[in-house]
Amino acid sequence: MFGLIGHSTSFEDARRKALELGYEDFAVGDLDVWCSAPPQLVEYVKVTSPTGKTIEGAYIDSCFVPEMLSRFKTARRKVLNAMELVQKKGINITALGGFTSIIFENFNLLQHQHVRSTTLEWDRFTTGNTHTAWVICRQLENNAPALGIDLSKARVAVVGATGDIGSAVCRWLSLRTGVAELLLVARQQQPLSELQSELGGGRILALEDALLEADVVVWVASMPRTLEIDATKLRKPCLMIDGGYPKNLDAKFSGEGVHVLKGGIVEFCSDIGWSMMELAEMEKPQRQMFACFAEAMLLEFEDCHTNFSWGRNNITLEKMDFIGEASVRHGFSTLNLKPQFQVAAA
Amino acid sequence: MPTLDVPEVAVVDSPGGSSEALPDFTSDTYKDAYSRINAIVIEGEQEAHDNYIAIGTLLPDDEVELKRLAMMEMKHAKGFTSCGKNLGVTPDMVFAKEFFAPLRDNFQNAVEEDKVATCLLIQALLIEAFAIAAYHTYIPVSDPFARKITEGVVKDEYIHLNYGEVWLKANLEDCREEMLEANRENLPLIRKMLDQVAADAAVLQMDKEDLIEDFLIAYQESLTEIGFTTREITRMAAAALVA
Repeated sequence: MFGLIGHSTSFEDARRKALELGYEDFAVGDLDVWCSAPPQLVEYVKVTSPTGKTIEGAYIDSCFVPEMLSRFKTARRKVLNAMELVQKKGINITALGGFTSIIFENFNLLQHQHVRSTTLEWDRFTTGNTHTAWVICRQLENNAPALGIDLSKARVAVVGATGDIGSAVCRWLSLRTGVAELLLVARQQQPLSELQSELGGGRILALEDALLEADVVVWVASMPRTLEIDATKLRKPCLMIDGGYPKNLDAKFSGEGVHVLKGGIVEFCSDIGWSMMELAEMEKPQRQMFACFAEAMLLEFEDCHTNFSWGRNNITLEKMDFIGEASVRHGFSTLNLKPQFQVAAA
Repeated sequence: MPTLDVPEVAVVDSPGGSSEALPDFTSDTYKDAYSRINAIVIEGEQEAHDNYIAIGTLLPDDEVELKRLAMMEMKHAKGFTSCGKNLGVTPDMVFAKEFFAPLRDNFQNAVEEDKVATCLLIQALLIEAFAIAAYHTYIPVSDPFARKITEGVVKDEYIHLNYGEVWLKANLEDCREEMLEANRENLPLIRKMLDQVAADAAVLQMDKEDLIEDFLIAYQESLTEIGFTTREITRMAAAALVA
C-alpha cells in the first residue's frame, strides 16, 4: 500500500471541496476550525501498471492549508499527525506532497519522531524529490529542443540550485546533458560555492542577472513576490520550468517567446479514478499528478519500501536512473509543452 | 519540493522559540490555573470510577472487568492528587464538579434508561479520548513528578477506550442510531468543556488547538475501530469543531 499526504491549495479551495464531499460544517468553519481538524484518510485507489502489476494506495488530506504557514505549531502538528495516521494505517511508503515535505524539512521535524504513543518510522516516508528532479531534467531535455533551443549552446539557470531538488538537477545537467553553461542561483553564498566546487563548474549569479542571460530557467524555489522583471529583456525563446510550489510563474512571465511549463508533473497512462487530485489544479486530474506523489507509487510497484528520498543533498544520479526507469516502465510520462508551441517553434 | 519562501507571511510563532520553554511551575499564575485543571483531572478520574461501576450494573457479565477498570481510575485520581500536593496546590473541587455536571447528568439519565451504548459513548469514548488528548498535550509541558505519573496513566486510558470499542463494535448494528444521537447531544458538551478550560490550559502551555485535534484523533480512531464509515465519522466529529 502506498500513501499520499496532500492538502488543498488554499483555504477557500478546502472549504469548497468539503462542501462537495457533503461536509457542510467544515465548509462553513473558519480557519480555527481547520486548524483543529485532524487528518483524514479521504480515499483508497487501485493503480495498474502496464506491466500488469496492481497496487493499492490511500490519499490522506492533512487538513493543512497554506494560510497556516504563519502558525508554526499548527503546521508542524498537521504534518506529524498526518504521518502518524499513515503509519497507523500500516501504509508502506508515503509521499509528502505540497508543503508537507517543505514544512518537514524547514521546521526540522526530524527531532519530533514521537507523536503521542507512536514513534514515526522514517523509512515509511519519502519526499519524492528524486523523481521530481528526474522529471524536471527530462522536461528540460524534451522541451528545450522543441522550442529551438540547442542545449549544447544554451545557458541554463537553476533558481534554488542548492536545495535538494536543485542540486540534483545541477548534477544531472552537468554530467548527463551537454548544456553549455549552468547559472547557479540561490540565496546563500556558502552552499553555492560548495555546489560549484562539487560540480567543477557553473557560474554563480544573482537572480536578476541570471534571468537576462538564460535560455532555460529551472525554478525549484518559489519566486520572490517582490521580483520585478521586464519580460521583454528575457532571451527569446526562453523555456521556464516552474518546479516550485505553489506554481505561480505562468501569470508573471508567459508571453511571446517565453514558454512556461509546469515542472515536476507526470501523467499516468490511464485514468486513476480518484477525486482528490482536482485539488491540485491539474489539467487532467485523473492522470496528472506531482512527481513526488508518483514516487510513492513507483516505490510500491518496485517493492522498494524505504525512504528513498530523504534529507538534503542525498540524490545521486544512480537513484535518479532507478526512479526514472521505474517511471517509464510503470506508465508515467513527463508533462510537455502544448503541441502548438512546438509546432510554432519548429 | 523547494524551499519555504513565503516572505509575505509573518511567522507568529517559531521553531525552538521561547514558546517551547517549560512554564514556571512555582508561579502564582501557574498554581492558580493548576488548581482548576488538577481538580478537573481528579474529578474526571473519580467520576470515571463511578461510571464504570454504574455500567457494570447494566452489563452484569462484564461486572468484574468493569470493576477492574474502575479501580484503575481511582488509582489515577490518587496519582493526580499527589501531583497537586507536589506543587503545593489545593484543587478547586467545587469548580470541577460543576464543570462535569452536564455530562454527568446525561450519563446518569442514560443509566436510568438502560442505554448502554450512550453510557459507553460518554464514558469509554468521549471522556477517555478527552483524557488521552489532555494527558498527551500535558506531558511535554508538565513538571517532572507529574510527567512520570501522567505517562503511566495515559497507557491505562487506552485500555479503557478499547473496552468501549469492543462492546460497541459487537453491538453496532443495534445501537448505531443511539450512538449518533448520543454523539449529537454530548460532543458539543465536550467542546464547551474544552473552551471553558482553554485559558487555564494555556497557562500550562497546553494549546486549545492541540487539545481539540488530539481529542478528535483519539475519538475518530475509536469510531473507525467500532465500524463507522469515514463519512459518518467526519460528520460526527464536526460537532466538536464548530462551537
